[in-house]
Amino acid sequence: MIHSLFLSLALGAGWLLSPESLVIAGNAAGQMGWMTLPVLAFITLLFTACGNLINSAQVTNTEIKEQLMLQSITGKIPATGFSLAAVIPLLVLAATALLVTSGYTFNEVFLYWFPNFGFSFLLLALLTILQFFSDKVIFRAQICFVSLAAGGLLMLSLYGIATTEIPFGLLFKQHGNFSSTSSATLLLLFVGSSGAGFSNGKQQPSLLLPAFGFILFFCWILVSLAAVSPERLTSSTIPYMTAARKIMGDPGRQIMGMVIISGTCAAITGLMLVCRKMLCDIAGITTEGLVSCKKLRWGFPPLIALISAILMATGLAGDELLEVILRGALILWLLRYALLCLAAIIHIKEHSQTFPLPGAVCTFILMAALFSLIFSNPHRIEMLGFLISMLGISGLLATIWFFISRNITAGKSENFQQMEKNL
Amino acid sequence: MKNLIFFLSFLLLMAWQPAMAADVPTISKDELKSKLNTENLVILDVRSGRDWSSSEFKIQGAIRAAGADIGEWSKNYAKDQPLVLYCA
Repeated sequence: MIHSLFLSLALGAGWLLSPESLVIAGNAAGQMGWMTLPVLAFITLLFTACGNLINSAQVTNTEIKEQLMLQSITGKIPATGFSLAAVIPLLVLAATALLVTSGYTFNEVFLYWFPNFGFSFLLLALLTILQFFSDKVIFRAQICFVSLAAGGLLMLSLYGIATTEIPFGLLFKQHGNFSSTSSATLLLLFVGSSGAGFSNGKQQPSLLLPAFGFILFFCWILVSLAAVSPERLTSSTIPYMTAARKIMGDPGRQIMGMVIISGTCAAITGLMLVCRKMLCDIAGITTEGLVSCKKLRWGFPPLIALISAILMATGLAGDELLEVILRGALILWLLRYALLCLAAIIHIKEHSQTFPLPGAVCTFILMAALFSLIFSNPHRIEMLGFLISMLGISGLLATIWFFISRNITAGKSENFQQMEKNL
Repeated sequence: MKNLIFFLSFLLLMAWQPAMAADVPTISKDELKSKLNTENLVILDVRSGRDWSSSEFKIQGAIRAAGADIGEWSKNYAKDQPLVLYCA
């Protein structure tokens, strides 16, 4: 039971521990001051309520999968298109961005003579090779990555709490501004948090991952605010490193370096597993189990690695556009999550004749936050272009997939009919 | 024959490129360190995107300048102004 919970946590917490999440949390802390903490608590409750909603919809029919729930409100092709748009761009762009960050961190913190891009490509190769091992090995590696990243972050936080000269009570007397944009950005911390399906199909408590994220970021934001000025946290592109250096000096930088690299590994492995499972579900549903997940397993990781390697080699990391489209990919994931909540509300209403009001309120807030994330972005035109093109391409891919899968299933049933005749 | 000429021209062009780059004077880390407080020295950080944002090492007082916009920002400096550009 404990192993199952721990595994579920490790699989869902990948993105939560990524360097990108640390930047989001650090910048938000700088902008909102102590107000970040109640907002974080609210977002934790929001994701718990949304998780409960999806879980309770699945309780009414244990066979129903997320993909089928989505299909019930949008139809087969749009549901597949939404799922593809939610996970594949996120995985490819997150891998590109996080690996570049890890490369710089390794070069600047650990080995100055080792080329940063060399490390990024090496890490990408190692994480791709990891995907060819058995699930047991991948899960253990993921637990290891998450433990290292979370352990390092907690260690720095506890050290900061123990040694800070500023009384924490004073922090709450300093500035605390509510910002709807920064609050909506904090939602992005919990992206990619659907790893429960890996734990023998058992549902996990929906509070598990949000609570883990809340404890981790509550401590980290608190010490960051105590150690670094809000202005510095807001303007820094690496607030995590600034805070780590202030808290513990050079050893702090090294611990943070370890957190960044293991967080990157956790995020990419976690997203790779979530993505593989989602594609497996889609293939299983659309081809009635005729296309095995094994085929996806061998082909999918090298393809993603190749695309990420090409994007890194062609200099996307040096382009400001990467930040805009990565944000767009995160929004697409949240959009699918919001649609899933909506599907759960409809499913519960139809099957148990009750209206899940708290879940509906949370879904509404999630949708409103999504609009805020899109339209408050200074590059909203480019972002909208990216969102529309990704949804269009995914829709097209879904249509092609359905055409192919229809032929596969039709061919198989013809074979069955022929066999029956022969018998 | 046409293809051969094209191929040789291409090789010549490729060989010429580093030769051109070799004409640009370079400055060592220590040399720059000793000149950091020089009055008219301008340091330009030409890294962009994540290459800049992920790096912890940023020279204090360096001005960010996008390599692609050289035509724009180069107008702001006199021709005899010493400019140090760094990209890694």
